[in-house]
Amino acid sequence: MAHPPENDEDEGGRGVSRRTFLKTAGVGAAASSLAGVAIPAAGATVLGPGAAPLTLKVNGAARTVNVEPRVTLLRALRNHLDLTGAKEICDRGACGGCTVLLDGEPIASCLMLAADAEGHEITTVEGLGTPDAMSPVQAAFVEADALQCGFCTPGFVVSSTALLRKNANPSLEEVKDGLAGNICRCGTYSRVFEAVQKAAKASARPAAKRG
Amino acid sequence: MAQEQKPPEVPTVTYTVKAGHASNPQTMEVHAAQGDLKPWDLDSKLRVVKGRQPRLDGKYKVTGRAKYTFDISMPGMLWGRMVRSAVPAGQILKIDTSKAEALPGVKAVWTSDARTVRFAGQDVAAVAAVSPEVAEDAARLVQVTYDEASFVTDLEKAMADDAPLVYEPDKIPGPKDIPRKGNVLGPKPPGRGGSRGDVDKGFADAAVTIQQTYSVPTHTHSPLETHGVIAKWEGDQLTVWASTQGVFTVRDGMAEALGIDRKNVNVITEHMGGGFGSKLAPSASGSAFAVVACKLAKQAGAPVKLMLDRHEEHLCTGNAPSALMTVKIGAARDGSFTAVHYRSFGSAGIAGGAGTGGPAGSLHGKNPNLKIEEHDVFTNAGPAAPLRAPGHPQGAFALESAVDEVADRLGLDPLEVRRKNEASPVRLIQYDVGAKAIGWERRNKKPGEGAGPRKRGIGMANGNWYVIARGSGVGAEVRIHRDGSVEYFSGAQDIGTGFRTAMAMVVAEELGLKPTDVKPNVGDSRWPEGPGSGGSNTTNSVAPAVRLAAHDARMKLFALAAPGLGAKAEDLDAADGKIFVAASPGKSVAFKQTAAKMSGEVIAAVAERKKQFETYRQDLAGCQFAEVEVDTQTGVVRVIKVVAVNDCGFPINLLTTESQIIGAMIQGVSWALWENRVLDRNVGTMVNPNLESYKVLSSKDMFEAVPIVTEIANAGNNTSAAGIGEPCIVPTLGAVANAVFNASGARVRTLPITPDRVLAALAEARRS
Repeated sequence: MAHPPENDEDEGGRGVSRRTFLKTAGVGAAASSLAGVAIPAAGATVLGPGAAPLTLKVNGAARTVNVEPRVTLLRALRNHLDLTGAKEICDRGACGGCTVLLDGEPIASCLMLAADAEGHEITTVEGLGTPDAMSPVQAAFVEADALQCGFCTPGFVVSSTALLRKNANPSLEEVKDGLAGNICRCGTYSRVFEAVQKAAKASARPAAKRG
Repeated sequence: MAQEQKPPEVPTVTYTVKAGHASNPQTMEVHAAQGDLKPWDLDSKLRVVKGRQPRLDGKYKVTGRAKYTFDISMPGMLWGRMVRSAVPAGQILKIDTSKAEALPGVKAVWTSDARTVRFAGQDVAAVAAVSPEVAEDAARLVQVTYDEASFVTDLEKAMADDAPLVYEPDKIPGPKDIPRKGNVLGPKPPGRGGSRGDVDKGFADAAVTIQQTYSVPTHTHSPLETHGVIAKWEGDQLTVWASTQGVFTVRDGMAEALGIDRKNVNVITEHMGGGFGSKLAPSASGSAFAVVACKLAKQAGAPVKLMLDRHEEHLCTGNAPSALMTVKIGAARDGSFTAVHYRSFGSAGIAGGAGTGGPAGSLHGKNPNLKIEEHDVFTNAGPAAPLRAPGHPQGAFALESAVDEVADRLGLDPLEVRRKNEASPVRLIQYDVGAKAIGWERRNKKPGEGAGPRKRGIGMANGNWYVIARGSGVGAEVRIHRDGSVEYFSGAQDIGTGFRTAMAMVVAEELGLKPTDVKPNVGDSRWPEGPGSGGSNTTNSVAPAVRLAAHDARMKLFALAAPGLGAKAEDLDAADGKIFVAASPGKSVAFKQTAAKMSGEVIAAVAERKKQFETYRQDLAGCQFAEVEVDTQTGVVRVIKVVAVNDCGFPINLLTTESQIIGAMIQGVSWALWENRVLDRNVGTMVNPNLESYKVLSSKDMFEAVPIVTEIANAGNNTSAAGIGEPCIVPTLGAVANAVFNASGARVRTLPITPDRVLAALAEARRS
């Protein structure tokens, strides 16, 4: 088996083919660590099954993590970078609790390997605002009480943010569509819709002034 | 529903209170413990309480900074993982952990002493390893050999004479004096409300009698944060971070299970991702995972984090029992009931407690003749746990569907039939409020009379709950610091209800501050004792203690302000950050300026609640109205609107109270239309242990939710608060089912109301 790159600077020779391989290796690694069998694709370099360093661009900063290739983006963020806003709730893309932005698009980070996220811009809920400087969406969630236990809330905040970036003034039906991938068990949907529409209005005001 | 305790005998003081609803005030006397305060009542001028305060922890939750148990990590921490039985019944012959132990990175292994398996998902073994991935590998390497036995997972099959026995007859859980046969225990003596009169005579007197059977499947709680803990030992001292509804329950449970003193156990729950009743046990109803985590941590000499996964959460952390309910109602021509016979069978899996008779015992109080019979049926499935008003949504669905059927038979307005039998003055007010909000007059006079294939209709149903409070043994502490900052301490946990914010509002009310001026400290067993969050009792048990502590601090501060204001402390009041002479508010001094006069660094006031007072009413009334659209070609039901009208005493924070009511309506609609735990009858395992085929309501299914609080000066404690988390889910299922009938003429008696059942009921309606 070939060795993983020694450090972050070793970008040469990595690229599509390596990432393509990692998709295979990541899935195979879980089995290979037990069964000792991994069949690499032709021409691929092998990473793992042990931990290997990866560089993730998270909330504007490059962060290095040393993870097994099978580790998901969600677990890399949570267990290796202490960015615990995104939650592992269903671990199969059904609940939206792990939603982060990948190059601006909302994705289920439990369904992506950390290695596949290399080279992309990742934004987590922590990158959207802070308790003392909340984003308009975050502030609207608090004001409308669009949360109860709050465990699903980071996922809803990220999905809502992505929705408003595409559609600055969504109708109620469009909000429902935009949040269709997120589950809340305490039952906050109607207040989430209210918060998203409030945030849309709040963001529209300065634009209107400029106009 | 726990924590009802007989109040200890304490010296009392009598207060005269203007209680009840503003439209119909009742003067009553309450007996408070000496030193306790007069309840806030209809005459109280409240500045903060009953307002709308966004939750104080909101900014941490929306930015991902709130640390739940699931989010906590610490240096050297190991990851625990349970191994669960793959078979539903039998004996464990061998647990071979040798391969798991040999895996690099595995630091501790635990195996269960129990050898009898009664459900798929029972605790068998556990591992702790250096990463979650290695722990998962190790768990898969544990080899368990079973001698499998026959089993039964289906409620009705378990009732058969020849069904495989879940327990040997002498091992069935439950009181020995209750009849038992096969897997069936009962009839059990009725709970609250009970039986009364003579139903045989009542049915003989009836002009019409209906009898129908209704059924509800098992639901799982499915909190989004799964059950889990982090256990850390420092010498004899154990700290447990727990996703729990009862930090003190976990403290006591760990101490007992591990044979250590309670004072050596500290439990912390700063933020908690939902429980709905499943997190009231020290570990969980069907797993001892928290105790196992403590043992693994001890064995490994390192902190262990053990969170269950979604699959486990469905199997062993509790569920709401299934129910098969037969309701017989006799009525006179005018709709007054002459008798109600309520008989239910239900399965809480391997546990008891499947009763659903609560609503029958409490609703329609003018009915003179009532008989309730409840039975537990044991099946090879994970044990139930209380789920949001245990048994009540199910029981109310059956009872309130039957009431609707009586009205239909008599050709009467279903709301009028309920008025006829109503004993609660509060619900009589709610009928008018709810009917107006939904536009009751818009309903079909003849079910299904709307034009076209997509038909709309409106239905309603009642619900009930109880004022449950821990009257004593609940404390709170309020501190005012020299710099004027204020904080309070309560060991009780905020499970997402907004408890921590509500308590800050109570402190702010007493001290004349804004809620944002008060720092909450909750969810830590080192702080004053509070109840487990069950029975809708947290706010109304803790708020009175918080108010007492805040009042004590207030009087200490007033004593510092009084000389400068030329008045006596008892003549002062506080508002807007100022302390002033009540009779001449112009004479005032700033709160902060007064705090700076204290002799030390802090004024600390600790208070303990001594007893619950008499209450305006012991029941909490509620009713709901639903509007639905039924596609009579496909059978698909869409909920358009639900109006909930509920009594919760005085709502401390109207904003978060409404959120709880909205959430209950959502969970209720979810049960009515989708949720259904499916066990494979051939292999005994769960078919849908996830969040996509265990379908819960999501954005696209969302309806217009209208929460209406009927404010009642309850007088049961010094804040007049009661509970809200549970009562507001009780009526929803029945309201939706009755609306489906009004829309389409389809009477669906089995939940969830799926398209196939709607089409079958429509065919049935056409035949008759």
